[in-house]
Amino acid sequence: MADTFHRKIERSAIGFVLAIIAAASVGGIVEIAPLFTIDETVEQAPDMRMYTPLELAGRNIYVREGCYACHSQMIRTLRDEVERYGPFSLAVESQYDRPMLWGSKRTGPDLARVGGKYSDFWHVAHLNNPRDVTPESNMPAYRWLGRTSLEMDDLPMHLAAQQALGVPYSDDMIENAARDAYGQATPDTDFAAGVTERYGEETQVSAFDGVTTHVTEMDALVAYLQVLGRLTGAAYENTAAPEAKPEPEG
Amino acid sequence: MIGQLTSSERQNAAVIAVVVAIAGMVMAALGRSDALGVHGVIVMLFAGGVLYILMSTFYEPEPTEDREASYYDDPIKVGIALSMAWAVFGMFMGVWVAAQLAWPDLAFDAGWSSFGRLRPTHTTGVIFGFGGNALIATSFHVVQRTSRARLAGQISPWFVLLGYNLFCVLAVSGYLIGVTQSKEYAEAEWYADLWLVVVWVTYFILYIRTIARRKEPHIYVANWYFMAFILVVAILHIVNNLALPVSWGHAKSYTIWPGVQDAMVQWWYGHNAVAFFLTAGFLGMLYYYLPVRAQRPIFSYRLSILSFWGITFFYMWAGSHHLHYTALPHWVQTLGMTFSVMLLVPSWASAGNALLTLNGAWHRVRDDATLRFMMAAAVFYGLSTFEGSFMAIRPVNSLSHYTDWTVGHVHAGALGWVALITFGSLYTLVPSLWKRERMYSAALVEVHFWLAIAGTLIYVFAMWNSGIIQGLMWRTYTEEGALAYSFVDSLVAMYPYYIARAFGGLLFLIGAVVGCYNIWMTVRALPAAVAAGADVPVTPVAIPGE
Amino acid sequence: MDIDHNAVVAFSKSWGLFYLIALALGVLVYTFWPSNKKRFDRAKKSILDRDDKPWRK
Repeated sequence: MADTFHRKIERSAIGFVLAIIAAASVGGIVEIAPLFTIDETVEQAPDMRMYTPLELAGRNIYVREGCYACHSQMIRTLRDEVERYGPFSLAVESQYDRPMLWGSKRTGPDLARVGGKYSDFWHVAHLNNPRDVTPESNMPAYRWLGRTSLEMDDLPMHLAAQQALGVPYSDDMIENAARDAYGQATPDTDFAAGVTERYGEETQVSAFDGVTTHVTEMDALVAYLQVLGRLTGAAYENTAAPEAKPEPEG
Repeated sequence: MIGQLTSSERQNAAVIAVVVAIAGMVMAALGRSDALGVHGVIVMLFAGGVLYILMSTFYEPEPTEDREASYYDDPIKVGIALSMAWAVFGMFMGVWVAAQLAWPDLAFDAGWSSFGRLRPTHTTGVIFGFGGNALIATSFHVVQRTSRARLAGQISPWFVLLGYNLFCVLAVSGYLIGVTQSKEYAEAEWYADLWLVVVWVTYFILYIRTIARRKEPHIYVANWYFMAFILVVAILHIVNNLALPVSWGHAKSYTIWPGVQDAMVQWWYGHNAVAFFLTAGFLGMLYYYLPVRAQRPIFSYRLSILSFWGITFFYMWAGSHHLHYTALPHWVQTLGMTFSVMLLVPSWASAGNALLTLNGAWHRVRDDATLRFMMAAAVFYGLSTFEGSFMAIRPVNSLSHYTDWTVGHVHAGALGWVALITFGSLYTLVPSLWKRERMYSAALVEVHFWLAIAGTLIYVFAMWNSGIIQGLMWRTYTEEGALAYSFVDSLVAMYPYYIARAFGGLLFLIGAVVGCYNIWMTVRALPAAVAAGADVPVTPVAIPGE
Repeated sequence: MDIDHNAVVAFSKSWGLFYLIALALGVLVYTFWPSNKKRFDRAKKSILDRDDKPWRK
């Protein structure tokens, strides 16, 4: 019985193909399928806001420059990590992240909670030449970011794509995406008010790179770095799912 | 190159090249100033280049003899050349980025030359450029020989090979101009991913149709591995790359997977890319070229079947060990760890099977550097699979994760296993394909072997040291209960190892260049014995000095 | 029926295990089935044959 069955599978290569698929796919299915219902068990963060258009543009620059190759954004549930970087990361904190940027390597430190730790001025100086700020650093210099104007015209399309995937951007936010990006980096203009109106009073509006007349990629990247870990305060409250609590080991 | 195509096949090939060129034109028109426009131009140039080669030889004489009486080796030859070219490119990029970590100002004042953009050109260049082309070339060779059937297509092998290289070119050029999805080892954007699906489906159909033509009732086990490689990579690639482009005119897309799901899908992909791209496919090479070169049948055929199903089944569960102590549910982490440890059984079965095959032929391993390449590859395979299972254990992972230990582990596998088995296979394959008695220089194969071994060992030891030091410094406390070292302290401790690592990589690169020269001279040399008029492959088993 | 997260997880965990066992048994039976031995031996040695031309019908 088993013999003829296997011979059949083998004689036609198609059967063999199906056998490989059957053997290979189950592991992925078993592990990934439950993640679609995971919302039911994951902690909630009703106070969480989305990235502003400028922060999203900065995030895309972070992706483009491959920052994730050396910086993680995932604080593990280990004592030394929590003491070094802050409360461990929760799943809900990356619910709007496409793609996630948890990273796999720390040539530089974790950035999950870097927002607000340093001034805008520090970040600009550091990105222009890391060794001016930290002589031992081996991070590349990103001088050209401050020389490159930020592409803002297609930000509404970016927000619309995110909305289509389920990020709750409102139509109002999409429509005003380019204006809001400009406004967040130019606090003295009329556009600045719209940003806090749409994204909340806590949103940082400032001339990130120190230049108020011109919005550069440096503005966007610094705006993104300054919001890391500050979209929600959930990690600072004791609402973590039981499985994610720190363990004594380590 | 097209000597084996009939004139109607040449026309069809030209039509395909024109269609691809038109697709490039559409991309250029839709993308305009976006990076998509640049890639449209690159597609047009690539298709135009292929068309130029086609047209300039279009009226050469058609094949006269019965093509089915011989194997189809032309695409394999071009695949080997492309593989070696990508090896030199990818390894050069590796040495450059390694040097940047030690001397960060070793870059130009422009985005394209910074570490974050160069690093994926290195990983894509070596994994997909070097490894992928070698896999395509050797799989075409192995499937024909073990099935005793010619490839089931005249144009499709070329389509697979050249189309795949177009994907690699789009990926690598994209990173330099800032196009990336940031998914590690799947950085190429949506249009390149779609193109790869077309190429891969063609590859799969070609492979399975060739197997269906076989004479033997049984499919030789090397083909199982190649088939698992083709199939599972297709599944992984499609699921991981599901994304919504910002618009049809934008290179940028957003993945459909958010946050924690994206992390799981990404590392399910990432780990299985290691499993089915960097392991299964290369085990296919091992199970064919090692017995052939050693002139001994594989030690245990049954063991090779058991380890095949073990690897196919277990690997798929192991991806979550990349996410220990993260926001991924605990039980998924535990499952990943358990299966990673169980993976050691089929992995060591394969490595042991390879080494036991050589038992009784150790004098050949001593005298023949080509066979020694494959022996060393099997040893490194055993070592790095043990290390991998070890690092997947949660407490070990708490130390090793995020450190250079991971990088060392990956390179023990990539240099020690993948690259060594590839060089061993190519040194076996090249003389037989070009009908030479042996490689141009056995001494240069020997030089290449020792450069590769020295480079790998220096690299891996440097990264083990730096990784473990780094991990320990991060978690060391003073007696007062404060963290003993700042992050910068741990970075300063890394510099000597980063310099050593760049040096080890440089040795490995020099070895690859020596290999290119040796292959080039072998191809250039006159055939040792010209069989008059017969286009019949000779046996791929000649061993120098025997 | 209400399919909640726990039900999906329980299903995954239990049936994943059954599947593993069934697959292992299938592979073992195939590998050690006596009549397969001949074909395996043949395949094992056939790659060393020096006859290197496609077969013809």
